[in-house]
Amino acid sequence: MTSKNDKKWSSRSVGAPWQHRFFYFLIRLGGRHIAYPFLYPVVLYYLLFKPEERRKSRYYLDRRFPGRQGFAALKDSFRMIMGLSRSLVDRALVGICGPEILHTEFPEGQRLADLANASEGLIILTTHVGCWQAAMVYLSKLKGPVHMLMQQDEGDIDRHYFEHSDQENPYRIIDPTGFLGGTLEMVAALNRGEIVSIMGDRRQGSEENSLAVDFLSAPVHFPAAAWKLAAVTGAPLAVLFPIKTGPDRYRIELAEVIKIPKQDSRPIERLTPYLTRYVKALENLCTKEPYQFFNFYDMWE
Amino acid sequence: MLETSLQEQLKKLIIEELNLEDIDASEIKDGDPLFGDEGLGLDSLDAVELVVLIQKHFAVEIKDMEEGREALASISALSDFIETRRAGVSGQ
Repeated sequence: MTSKNDKKWSSRSVGAPWQHRFFYFLIRLGGRHIAYPFLYPVVLYYLLFKPEERRKSRYYLDRRFPGRQGFAALKDSFRMIMGLSRSLVDRALVGICGPEILHTEFPEGQRLADLANASEGLIILTTHVGCWQAAMVYLSKLKGPVHMLMQQDEGDIDRHYFEHSDQENPYRIIDPTGFLGGTLEMVAALNRGEIVSIMGDRRQGSEENSLAVDFLSAPVHFPAAAWKLAAVTGAPLAVLFPIKTGPDRYRIELAEVIKIPKQDSRPIERLTPYLTRYVKALENLCTKEPYQFFNFYDMWE
Repeated sequence: MLETSLQEQLKKLIIEELNLEDIDASEIKDGDPLFGDEGLGLDSLDAVELVVLIQKHFAVEIKDMEEGREALASISALSDFIETRRAGVSGQ
């Protein structure tokens, strides 16, 4: 959200372009039934011969499963990396075959639709959990355009789902590296009663624009932008987790709907109790689905 | 005269609404940058509030980064932007 960018993570893809194209080919050939088995050698290769990639999974796993070592730790890393790999295949699957290819349930879908229909603006807070493309069917039916704050690093060759079929991007992308981090576009969209989707778990800029809250027993700086936007514009904030429940099944959880009074917008520390609700929901999710939280960097640093 | 008054009004508004308690309006130079390390040192979170304040107090919207770059460069630039927008509306 600021020019002083000290972000610790990168969206740069791990595999080479041909490896990605190979999986796109497999998906076109036979869907996930063919693509999933090929993930095993790839994941095992990265797990056994790329220690730096395995190490990246340990930042989170060591917090989630403290004291786990040896084969058990290796198995955790395998499950986490495999979870991410399947999520990437699912993302491509949605792009190539359409969102209907996944069976997605959204028990509280009507509640989200009601929030969007209220035309007060709506912030959808997403997280690096599961596969958000699974929510496409529902998001595309919401009233009003959906804007996404989305950064694609140089070297991120993993294609967005809509790029597979050369279709026009159905979402309006806001670049967080632009002037003032896309703030102006987000405020304007919310003031028009539209929907803005923001990732809640990765900080783009300096610590000044973040709030520290304990996550898995140690403080993490979470980005404050979404919370500030909610307080200043009056738009409600909906926390969504798309969770994989089966090979081709997802369930969208509306974990929290948070409304922040204007008077809590400043100083930013007054936003901490609202952020804490999100972090608690995220911890609950990590307890239930430990291998579906995909952050491969040291959030606690 | 009107322009000077708007600039002072903006300085006062920014100090009060963004809680810049340790800064006096006289310390803010009209041409100083509002954002970044120099000048007033506001950040993107301040921008969220500033944009909403401008809309609320002057009924002028800053919609995107192109307009933002122009309008939010300094107090002078913001004042000019508001005046131009208001003149545009009243001239319609």
